[in-house]
Amino acid sequence: MEIFSDLMMGMSVALHPANLLYLLVGAFVGMTIGVIPGFGPAAGIALLLPVTFGMDPVGAVMMLSAIYYGAMYGGSITAILINTPGDAGSVASTLDGFPLAQQGRAGPALVMQAVASFTGGTVGVILITLLAPLFSQVARNFGPPEYFLLAIMGMLTLIVMIGGNWRLGVISALIGFALGTVGVDLESGRSRYTFGSAELIGGINFIPVAIGLFGLGELFFAFYSGSHKKRDGEMLTYDGKSNFWPNARDFIETRFTLVRGSIIGFVVGVIPGAGAAIAALIAYSVERSVSPRPENFGKGEMAGLVAPEAANNAASSGAMIPLLTLGIPGSASTAILLAAFLMWGLRPGPLLMEQNPEFAWGLIASMYLGNMALLLISIFAIPVFVLILKVPYRILAPLVVVVCTLGTFSVNSSYMEMYIMLGAGVIGFFMRLYGFSPAAVVLALVLGPLAEESLRQTLTISRGSFGIFITRPASLSIIVVTIALLVLLPLIQLYGQRVRKPKAS
Amino acid sequence: MNELWKSAKAQGRLATIAATALLGLAAVSPAAAQDYPSESLDMTVAFAPGGGNDVMSRGIAEILQKYDLYPENIEINNRVGGSGAVGWGYLYTQTGSAYDISTTSGSLFTTPLQADTPWTVDDFTPIALLAADDLALTVLGSSRWNTVEEFIAEAKEKPPVIAGTGTVNVDFIVIALFAEKAGFEFEYVPFNSYPDSQTALLSGAVDALLGNPGEIIGMVDSKDMRALAYSGPVVPPEMEGVPTMADLGFDPGISMPRGLIMAPDAPQEAVDWWIKTMQFIVTTPEWKEYISTNLLTEYTLFGDDFATFLEKKNVSFAETLRSRGFVK
Repeated sequence: MEIFSDLMMGMSVALHPANLLYLLVGAFVGMTIGVIPGFGPAAGIALLLPVTFGMDPVGAVMMLSAIYYGAMYGGSITAILINTPGDAGSVASTLDGFPLAQQGRAGPALVMQAVASFTGGTVGVILITLLAPLFSQVARNFGPPEYFLLAIMGMLTLIVMIGGNWRLGVISALIGFALGTVGVDLESGRSRYTFGSAELIGGINFIPVAIGLFGLGELFFAFYSGSHKKRDGEMLTYDGKSNFWPNARDFIETRFTLVRGSIIGFVVGVIPGAGAAIAALIAYSVERSVSPRPENFGKGEMAGLVAPEAANNAASSGAMIPLLTLGIPGSASTAILLAAFLMWGLRPGPLLMEQNPEFAWGLIASMYLGNMALLLISIFAIPVFVLILKVPYRILAPLVVVVCTLGTFSVNSSYMEMYIMLGAGVIGFFMRLYGFSPAAVVLALVLGPLAEESLRQTLTISRGSFGIFITRPASLSIIVVTIALLVLLPLIQLYGQRVRKPKAS
Repeated sequence: MNELWKSAKAQGRLATIAATALLGLAAVSPAAAQDYPSESLDMTVAFAPGGGNDVMSRGIAEILQKYDLYPENIEINNRVGGSGAVGWGYLYTQTGSAYDISTTSGSLFTTPLQADTPWTVDDFTPIALLAADDLALTVLGSSRWNTVEEFIAEAKEKPPVIAGTGTVNVDFIVIALFAEKAGFEFEYVPFNSYPDSQTALLSGAVDALLGNPGEIIGMVDSKDMRALAYSGPVVPPEMEGVPTMADLGFDPGISMPRGLIMAPDAPQEAVDWWIKTMQFIVTTPEWKEYISTNLLTEYTLFGDDFATFLEKKNVSFAETLRSRGFVK
């Protein structure tokens, strides 16, 4: 019952008019920056952080956190409409979101996206409220050996990403791993493949790569295939009001997807370092494996959009647990939030919630309200966004290029990242043309460095012995879970097909 | 907590009034009867908002404005990338400017050693060293080492695994010099950031880590972690009872220098103005508060003294890393 009195206390803090205003500002800003490709939550929080210098920390944290989870709502809008992920967490949403829009179902896709985001976010906060102490114990057990195994588990989803042609898929993944080796090698401190460039010391950020490969690549392909000349020059067909709301089938078919996506997202989100992008990709892969129609994934299956959307929002809630209970950020965005805690004079650590209950519970309570506000904003904003599809392609296409370029440049004011994005656009076009897998490139670019660094850290710690993966209980559990998934998922799929076949005949 | 925050603010305001009155008596507002400054100031922060450099820059800007020390506009620009290469690279291009300043950190020495930057530390105009961000050797609260002596004694038998941030970084240099003097070997595991090291320590994967007091204090307060030794000259009050490495006779003599630099060849008039202004700023209650909330060690050197300090540090950073084969 103590939880409820804490939550009520938090609610009274969050409902304070000034705080409520900060919350709404954060939600709105978050959604907006999420929509701009390249401009993700980390950049948005960094942008508004200086404004909070000297502000009441409770209002400030509500605002910055709302930017963080709000961006997860906005990021998928461009993923669905123009195949350009607005932030890292929505890379997986392009896989089925854009095909849905191509079929003229942009409205239902956007509404289901908002519903999935709301469900994921809210399930996440409920789990934080009830289980924060338990999950913080789980997060405590993760060290370098566990991160390595987690990266390997994530790489298994490559099998799903690779698609039909495995040779091209493997080459795509290898390109991603190769890009991941650029930058200062953490272990030796030496630069790799930076060619003397100071800007490449930090490695290749995967956001410009993702925007180029997906967004610009798709655009170039559309020109190549001449789609700008077809259909009055409109990008996609969309017939307005009659096709706005999702139908009952969309809801019924994805009701378990919502729950699965939320739980997978939350658990992955709690583990520091994994983040929303990996959560969304894992949820997508699991969903495809348990689906009765795996062959439809990538061609416009609603569950293929709903799963990663619920997961990336639940993951952003989950990441609050290590942040609040251990002072450990789970992603780039929460790392900036942690820096903000220090700036406001708070001491992150196990005593934070105890010593600053108004701060911690105010934040948790505000996340309930924030998710509701974001659902409403989304529903009202969707008709406006859908109008993008009415813009003639000859006007929309240059605008997309400009927005992608500006969005990428504005994050770090880096010309290098802009060139990387443009270069990735050209490569993305050829990948699209010849059937390579851009998703595999991005996933390998994210997981490659994580796997490499954590493996080398592990082996330094164990002095070269691989036995450490079996002697540490947490490592052993991950190995068991991975093997179980590898065996169980194909069995479930097989069973599903057998059950359906008699019905069909 | 709202109330607390407000009353803290009110106290700050009172302090301001008192300090302004004092300043009026002294009647030497540094800018008096001078041409400098007459343009807006461009403060380059070479790292992201919320980091140590950013918080210090914003702190200084706030004090400058509060006491009306800088009559013109102050712009703070985070020019992020390449471990400081982008921001300090920008400052380097502003050679001769009287209105471009930036803050220093360990990367000012290490980044030029790693990448082909057109600048080195010697190129910039030194103004003042203001504080040092020192490191504590920290173990798990539940570990068997209660004192640093116990830790060293066991380390001599079996080299411990110690986590720190980065390889070409202050963390590594501090522990390498400490271990050398204390006479033990160790395995060093570099992580990308402090939170990653902390995760590894909590999971029991490493034996100890290096962290700034501001970073570890939450975990030390909750008894999840225990600080064994501190690399700075004076232990912050929150960590009372922890011995310094110098007390033990194993002084690494290196810390993360937090100071202020200007663009190369800045005009003498501007340099004098900034030295005088910073000499005043470090006496303000706001500055003392910045030092204590961030658990820094106050450590001030101005002008030429700071230049000598930078030169010496640069040599010792490079030598320590070179002798271990981490840079060419």
